[in-house]
Amino acid sequence: MASSANSNPVPKLYRSVIEDVINEVRELFLDEGVDEQVLMELKTLWENKLMQSKAVEGFHTEEQAALQAAAHQQAQQAQQATQQAQAQQVLLPPQQQVTSWQSTRPTVTSAPQQQVIVQDPKILQHMSATGMSAAATAATLALPTGVSPYHQLITSQGNLSQNCYIKTADGQILQFVRAANGAQYIIQPQQQMVLQQQVLPQMQPGGVQAPVIQQVLAPLQGGHPQQTGVIIQPQQIVLTGNKVQQNAQVMQMPGQPGQVQQIQQQVQQVQQAQGGAAPGPPQQQAKQQPPMMLQVDGAGDTSSEDEDEEEEEYDEDEDEDKDKDGGEDGQVEEEPLNSEDDVSDEEDQELFDTENVVVCQYDKIHRSKNKWKFHLKDGIMNLNGRDYVFSKAIGDAEW
Amino acid sequence: MAYQLYRNTTLGNSLQESLDELIQTQQITPQLALQVLLQFDKAINTALANRVRNRVNFKGSLNTYRFCDNVWTFVLNDVEFREVTDLVKVDKVKIVACDGKNQVNDYFSHSSLIIRPSQ
Repeated sequence: MASSANSNPVPKLYRSVIEDVINEVRELFLDEGVDEQVLMELKTLWENKLMQSKAVEGFHTEEQAALQAAAHQQAQQAQQATQQAQAQQVLLPPQQQVTSWQSTRPTVTSAPQQQVIVQDPKILQHMSATGMSAAATAATLALPTGVSPYHQLITSQGNLSQNCYIKTADGQILQFVRAANGAQYIIQPQQQMVLQQQVLPQMQPGGVQAPVIQQVLAPLQGGHPQQTGVIIQPQQIVLTGNKVQQNAQVMQMPGQPGQVQQIQQQVQQVQQAQGGAAPGPPQQQAKQQPPMMLQVDGAGDTSSEDEDEEEEEYDEDEDEDKDKDGGEDGQVEEEPLNSEDDVSDEEDQELFDTENVVVCQYDKIHRSKNKWKFHLKDGIMNLNGRDYVFSKAIGDAEW
Repeated sequence: MAYQLYRNTTLGNSLQESLDELIQTQQITPQLALQVLLQFDKAINTALANRVRNRVNFKGSLNTYRFCDNVWTFVLNDVEFREVTDLVKVDKVKIVACDGKNQVNDYFSHSSLIIRPSQ
């Protein structure tokens, strides 16, 4: 094969670095008493960000194509299923489909991983065992495998990202959950999602219930008054928004009625903040608004201006009564003029925001008059959004 | 101690972001995250030194140069990076280069005092 070009060394290099780091810090994690799960999650997060940045070419290209097709099909099926979805309780089967708990690498070569963020090594073994595509496997295993990590979920302060994510070709991150009735649900991050979680007061091995997913805004009040929790959208989890903090802590609390109300309020706040049309209780917050509205946008009203110009005596009275901000007639014309003073800066002056950076070490830097010569080594470059590496770089420039 | 130079790369930043997320959810301590980053520094330095074997040439015009604390920082314009396989052109590039000979100073980035044993 004389025509084969040199393979890009970057993905392999990055892979090996990731492996080295993860293996080296495993001991550190264990010394601190941090579970192996967290280590795997770190690795997964790391790899996902690398893939998302698109700076590395061919990180998982061959698997990517196969997964895209599968993910698309799954996405369509799941969307149809979610439209039928109602608030349901999900009971996990006590037996799990995957038997062993080996902490193998999540990156199984045979199983595509590009678009399935697999948190659990058991999932991969299941994948290779049944021969299902990663997307389907993630869906089917999202709940059952949520059992054991769910234990740790509750005990280790809530690890929301234990569920499975799938990244479609659009770049959306969808969360897959499979209910007991066989329907598959997708949680789409753009839509406002309220997830109901069954939190058992007693943790029994066979009786853990996985999160229930609803695609549509669902009133928390109805249906499950006793045990209701809130799971924030996965997108918020990834972005670690403010709301995640509140609700991540919510998950830690066992489901008790008193705390449920707090959860409900938090959810309502979430809903309100996102402009959702949550029914009922949010009206309580609406009552807090004062009945009288102070006008703060200037006296540009057209209602009573005609009278003002004719009779000046009225101006003072009306101003005192209406309590507007200094709205003299003269300023009515000036304010629109003043508003033009703002100069809008273009923040993105370049099409590409990436600053091209080379991070390296220098062997020798030489200058003659204004001619510079660079002898560099061991560098990582990010040019036009893509990553490159070199062991040696020689350059010339005029100053 | 290895250079912390490579933390501001795609690989390094994605690691830092991931660690930050885990800290946010209180799954790891900041101390542990720091240890991970130190380990990353070692790993990336070793990997670059041992596992990469390619050369790159580049040519452009020098806009600015700075040498401070044994670190060179250049900004070049209209640069062509040439490898055997391909050519990459950029309008502007920033090059940050640490001393390739001695890696002792990096840990004490503000120290300009080098103590050498006199014999």
